Amino acid sequence: MPAVRGDGMRGLAVFISDIRNCKSKEAEIKRINKELANIRSKFKGDKTLDGYQKKKYVCKLLFIFLLGHDIDFGHMEAVNLLSSNKYSEKQIGYLFISVLVNTRSDLINLINQSIKNDLQSRNPIHVNLALQCIANIGSKEMAEVFGHDIPKLLVSGDTMDVVKQSAALCLLRLFRTSQEIIPGGEWTSRIIHLLNDQHMGVVTAATSLIDALVKKNPDEYKGCISLAVSRLSRIVTASYTDLQDYTYYFVPAPWLSVKLLRLLQNYPPPDDPGVRGRLIECLETILNKAQEPPKSKKVQHSNAKNAVLFEAISLIIHMDTEPNLLVRACNQLGQFLSNRETNLRYLALESMCLLATSEFSHDAVKKHQEVVILSMKMEKDVSVRQQAVDLLYAMCDKTNAEEIVQEMLNYLETADYSIREEMVLKVAILAEKYATDYTWYVDVILNLIRIAGDYVSEEVWYRVIQIVINRDDVQGYAAKTVFEALQAPACHENMVKVGGYILGEFGNLIAGDQRSSPSVQFQLLHSKYHLCSPMTRALLLSTYIKFVNLFPEIKTQIQEVFKQHSNLRSADAELQQRASEYLQLSIIASHDMLATVLEEMPVFPERESSILAVLKKKKPGRVPENEIREHKSPVPGSTANHQEERSAAKTVSANASTDLLGLSTPPAAPTAGNTGVLVDMLGELYTSGSPQPHANNVAAQNAYNPAKFVCKNNGVLFENDLIQIGVKSEFRQNLGRITLFYGNKTSTALQNFSAAVTNPTGCIGKLNVQSKKVDPTVEAGAQVQQMVNGECVFDYPGLSSILMANLPLTKLIKNEQHLNFIVLISV
Amino acid sequence: MIGGLFVYNHKGEVLISRVYRDDIGRNAVDAFRVNVIHARQQVRSPVTNIARTSFFHIKRANIWMAAVTKQNVNAAMVFEFMLKVIDVMQSYFGKISEENIKNNFVLIYELLDEILDFGYPQNTDTGVLKTFITQQGIKSQTKEEQAQITSQVTGQIGWRREGIKYRRNELFLDVLEYVNLLMSPQGQVLSAHVAGKVVMKSYLSGMPECKFGINDKIVMEAKGKGMTTEDPARSGKPVVVIDDCQFHQCVKLSKFETEHSISFIPPDGEFELMRYRTTKDISLPFRVIPLVREVGRTKMEVKVVLKSNFKQSLLGQKIEVKIPTPLNTSGVQLICLKGKAKYKASENAIVWKIKRMAGLKETQLSAEIELLETDTKKKWTRPPISMNFEVPFAPSGFKVRYLKVFESKLNYSDHDVIKWVRYIGRSGLYETRC
Repeated sequence: MPAVRGDGMRGLAVFISDIRNCKSKEAEIKRINKELANIRSKFKGDKTLDGYQKKKYVCKLLFIFLLGHDIDFGHMEAVNLLSSNKYSEKQIGYLFISVLVNTRSDLINLINQSIKNDLQSRNPIHVNLALQCIANIGSKEMAEVFGHDIPKLLVSGDTMDVVKQSAALCLLRLFRTSQEIIPGGEWTSRIIHLLNDQHMGVVTAATSLIDALVKKNPDEYKGCISLAVSRLSRIVTASYTDLQDYTYYFVPAPWLSVKLLRLLQNYPPPDDPGVRGRLIECLETILNKAQEPPKSKKVQHSNAKNAVLFEAISLIIHMDTEPNLLVRACNQLGQFLSNRETNLRYLALESMCLLATSEFSHDAVKKHQEVVILSMKMEKDVSVRQQAVDLLYAMCDKTNAEEIVQEMLNYLETADYSIREEMVLKVAILAEKYATDYTWYVDVILNLIRIAGDYVSEEVWYRVIQIVINRDDVQGYAAKTVFEALQAPACHENMVKVGGYILGEFGNLIAGDQRSSPSVQFQLLHSKYHLCSPMTRALLLSTYIKFVNLFPEIKTQIQEVFKQHSNLRSADAELQQRASEYLQLSIIASHDMLATVLEEMPVFPERESSILAVLKKKKPGRVPENEIREHKSPVPGSTANHQEERSAAKTVSANASTDLLGLSTPPAAPTAGNTGVLVDMLGELYTSGSPQPHANNVAAQNAYNPAKFVCKNNGVLFENDLIQIGVKSEFRQNLGRITLFYGNKTSTALQNFSAAVTNPTGCIGKLNVQSKKVDPTVEAGAQVQQMVNGECVFDYPGLSSILMANLPLTKLIKNEQHLNFIVLISV
Repeated sequence: MIGGLFVYNHKGEVLISRVYRDDIGRNAVDAFRVNVIHARQQVRSPVTNIARTSFFHIKRANIWMAAVTKQNVNAAMVFEFMLKVIDVMQSYFGKISEENIKNNFVLIYELLDEILDFGYPQNTDTGVLKTFITQQGIKSQTKEEQAQITSQVTGQIGWRREGIKYRRNELFLDVLEYVNLLMSPQGQVLSAHVAGKVVMKSYLSGMPECKFGINDKIVMEAKGKGMTTEDPARSGKPVVVIDDCQFHQCVKLSKFETEHSISFIPPDGEFELMRYRTTKDISLPFRVIPLVREVGRTKMEVKVVLKSNFKQSLLGQKIEVKIPTPLNTSGVQLICLKGKAKYKASENAIVWKIKRMAGLKETQLSAEIELLETDTKKKWTRPPISMNFEVPFAPSGFKVRYLKVFESKLNYSDHDVIKWVRYIGRSGLYETRC
C-alpha cells in the first residue's frame, strides 16, 4: 500500500499505483474505464460530495487526462472547488481549469467570477493562485476581463511583493496575447519605476515585462534606460554579500543583470553623457570581474559569471561605439577559446563572429586566427567546429583570405559530412570575393571539386565557368589546369563538366603543347564519357562539336563518336538528338559557317553571385556576415574598396545560370545570339519539307502558340495586356468556319478597330476565304466576334494550309500596332 | 533468411535471443524494444523497418516474438514460420507465457537450433521434432535409432516414422468453424464468412493411406454427372461451396488437382488436415435484434432480443452478448429473462451471459442507461453489438462424407478403425449494428 502523507488522498494514491502496476495497455484502459464510471456515478449521484471528495475525483480526472485520455466532464465540480477556502482544494480546482478548460466553454463566466473574487481577496496566496491561472490560460477574453485589475495590482502601494512579482509576469503573458492590454499615459512611468523597487524579485519580473513593452513601443519607454543603467551599476558594484537572497554562487543577481543588459540592447547607446559614462563603467567592471580569480570552483559560479559577461559583450557589440571595450571583449573571448569548457569555447566563437563584423575589433579578432584554425581542426564537438568555420568566414578579408581558404581546403578533406556542403559554399564565396589573382581562384575551385566534388553545387561550377569566360587572362591557365586535373584516374563528375566546358571553349590555347594536343584532349574527355550521367554526356557532346571547329584535324574521329551515339545505342533521347544534329552539322556546314555557329561564348552579363543566396537559404538566420559594417565615422579605405569590388564581382542568378549553359533545355531553345543561328539552320535542315517561313513574324514576347490548334479546335490564340483573341473553329470536309473573338482587356474602349483576314499568296485559288467586317469600337471589357468561312478548293501536298490575319489596332494612346497571326486550318 | 529470432516479455526484456547471421548485431535487440514495444501501441504494422533492418513480430498474450533480417525475405514465409514456432512451443509446454518460456529456455534454444539453420527454416513438424528433441533429458541412442531418425528426417515422408503400432486403431475428426458476421440494425447481412479447419487425431498402425471425402460442390457435381443427370442441388443433399482451402503437407496435392480427392498418409497424433473459407449459404446460428431509444440527454433505453436459429434438438453454449454503452454512462439498470447480465464499466459495455440455449428459442434483455451531461457536443457513435457462442454443428454446411483407411501391409481394414467425427461452430467477429 502506498504511503500517504498528511492530507494526501488515499484513493488517488491507490488508483495511481494500480495504473502503474498494470502489465499492459489494455489492462490500464480497463482500470481507467472503471474509475471513470465510478467518478461519473459519484458526480451523478444525488448526495452532495464534500470538498475533499471533489478534490480527490478531480485529481483523478486530471491524472487520467495527463495519461492521454479525453475528459469531458467534471468541469462543474472543478469550478465549485474554486470557491473553497482551503488552499489545497482551490489549487486543484485552478490546476484542472488551467489544464482542461477551453476558453469557449460555457463555464468561462463562472470561472471568471471566481477569479475576480480571488483577485480581490485579502489573502495573497489566493491572489497568486488566481494570477497563475490567468497566466496559464492567457486567452484574449481573460485579457479583456482582467485588463484593468492586474495593472492596478502591479503598481498599487499596498500589494505585497510576491503578488507584484506574479502580477508583472501575468501581465507579460496577457500582453503577448493581446497587445492593447497595457494602458498608456501615466502607467508608463509607473511601470518603468518598478525598476527602482526595493524587492529584487519584483525588479526581475518587471524587467521581463518592460523588455516586451519596449520591443513594441521603444519611444514611449525610453525613460527606462537611465533607470536600468543605474540599477545595473548598483548590482555590478555591489559585493556579493549585499544582495543576500539574490546572490547566486557569489555572483550578485545574475538573472537580473542579464535581463537588464538585454533590455539595454533594444536601444542605441545612451545620448546623455552621464548615463553613458555610467554604463561604460558598468561594462568595464564586468570585464574586470572576468579577470578576477574565481571565488568558487563550482561550475554554477563560473556559469553565472560568464552569462553576465557574454550578455555584456553582446551589448558592447550592439553599441559598437567603444573601440576600447570592443578590443577588451575580444581579448577576453580569446582567452575563452582555449578554455576547457566546450560550451564556453562555442559561445566565444559565436560572439567573435559578431565582433569580426565591427570595424574596431576586426583586427583584434584576426589576432586569434591561429587558435580558431586550430579549433576548427582539433575540436571534438562538431558544433564548435562549425562555429569555428563560421568565424573564419566572418574574419576573412583581403590580407588573410589566401591563408584561410587554404586551411579550409585542407580541413575539408577530413571535415564532417554535415558541414561539408556549407564549407564548400563558404570557400567558393571567399575565393571569389577576395581573389586578386584569378589563377588562384581557378586553382581553389578546382581543388574544391577534387576534394569534395559531391558537395559542390551546380552554382559553384557555373560560377567558375562564368568567371573564366569573362576574364581572358585566365583562360589559358584554366584550360591547362583542368586538363591536368582531368588526368587523374578517378575524377568527379563536376570536374568533367568544368573540364568539358572549358576545353571546349579554350582547348585551342593549350593545343600547341604536344602533351595536350587536340586528339589527346579529346581522348581524355571521351575516356570519362561512359562514366557520366546523361546531363554531363550532353555537355560533352557539345564540347566535341566545338572541337570540330577548333581542331579540324580530329573531325573524323569526332564524327565517329557522334555516329555511335546517334542511334539506339544511347537510350537517352536528348543525347541521340544532340549526337545526330551535331553529326549533320559537322557534315553539312562549311568551315566558315561552323566557325560562326560554334564561336566562343560571349561574355556573361555581370550579375550577383548566386552562391551567397544558396548559403543563406541553407542556413537561414545563422549565416555570419562577412562584411564589415560601415560607419558614419571615417571609413578606412579598404572597406569602401571591397564594397565596390564586391558589387562588381556579383553575377548570375540561380535560375538564369541553368539556361546560360543550355543544359536542361534542348538545343532548339534560342537564348544567346549564337545559338539562335544554329537553331534556325537546323530548323531548315530538318523541316525543309514543310513551310514555316512566317515564324519570324510572330511577336515572341506574347503568349502566342498557334501550334496547339493542330489538334484542338477551340482556345486562346493570342493574349497580351491589351487584347485577347480567342478562336472557335468547326470543320466539315473541305469547309471550315472559324469564329474569332476579340476581347478588350483594357479599361478604355478600343476605337477604329478592324480585323482583316488575308489569304497568303501561295494559297490563292486553292483556298477561298470570306470574312465579315467587325464593329470598329470595342468597349472596355467587352468582346466582339468575327466569323470567317473558308473553303478548300484544291488539295495540298501538306496536311495544313496557312491563313494569315492582320489586325491593325489603334489604341487610345495612339500607338499603332500590327499584329500578325497564323491560323492553321487542318483540312 | 531470418537473421535472428528474439522473444520479449511485455516490458521489453529479452527472454530468448538467437542470432543466426552475422549481419544482425546485439543492438538489433534494443532497436526493436525501443521502437516497437516501448512505442505503446503506436506501431500497428507487424513489419517494422529500423535502420535497414526488418523486424517481423507477432504477439501472443504478453509475449512478443520478433524475427529480424537485413535481407529482402518473403514476409509471408517468416510469419508462417513464426506461427509454426508458436505451435511447436505450445505442443511442448502448453500455454505461451513468460514463466513457461523462462522455465523451458534450454528446450527452446534446442528447438530453435533444429528448426532454423543459418536462417533457413527446416522441418517444423511437432511429431517429428518430438522423436529426437525430448524433455526427458539426454538419452544415448543406439546406432539403429540414430540411423532411423536420419532416414526419417531426410526421407520422403518426413512426418511419420515407420513401425508405429496400436492395439486399437482409432481416429478423431474435428470440424471447427468460426462464423464472422456483420449485420445492419434492420437485419440485413452486410458481410458473412466462415473460416473453418479440420483437425485430425490419428492413432493408426503402420503406414496407412487415408482418403477423405466432403460434400464439396465440385466433387458432388462431378459425381452427379457421372452417375445420373440429376442436379445434385435438387437431389436434396446439401453441398458446400468452398472459396479457398489449404492442406497439411501430407496431402497429395497432385491427386487433389487431378481427381479432386484428398488422400494422405497422416502423421501420428494431432494435426490440422485442412483449412477452408466459405461465404455462401451460411446458416447463422443466432440473430440479435437491437432497439435503442435515446430519452433526452441523460437517459437511454436499450432492448435486445436474441433468437436462436437452429434445430430445436441442438444446444448452443457459452453465449455472451456484449452491448456497448456510451462513454458518459453513470448508471445502468438491467432486466433479462434468461442468463445473467452485468454492466462492466471497465469495458464500457453490458455483458449478458447465457450458459445454454436450445434452438428456435427467443429471449430478451432490457436496459435503462443513465447518462452524465458532458461538455462535448460529439455524438455517441454506437459501436456494434458483438456476441460469442458455441454450437454443435457446422454453420457453413460442411459435411464429412467418408474417411477411408487403407493399410496394405498390416492386416487391418477400413472397418476395424474406430472413427469419431465432431462438428463445432464458434463465433468469430459476430456483430450487429444498433
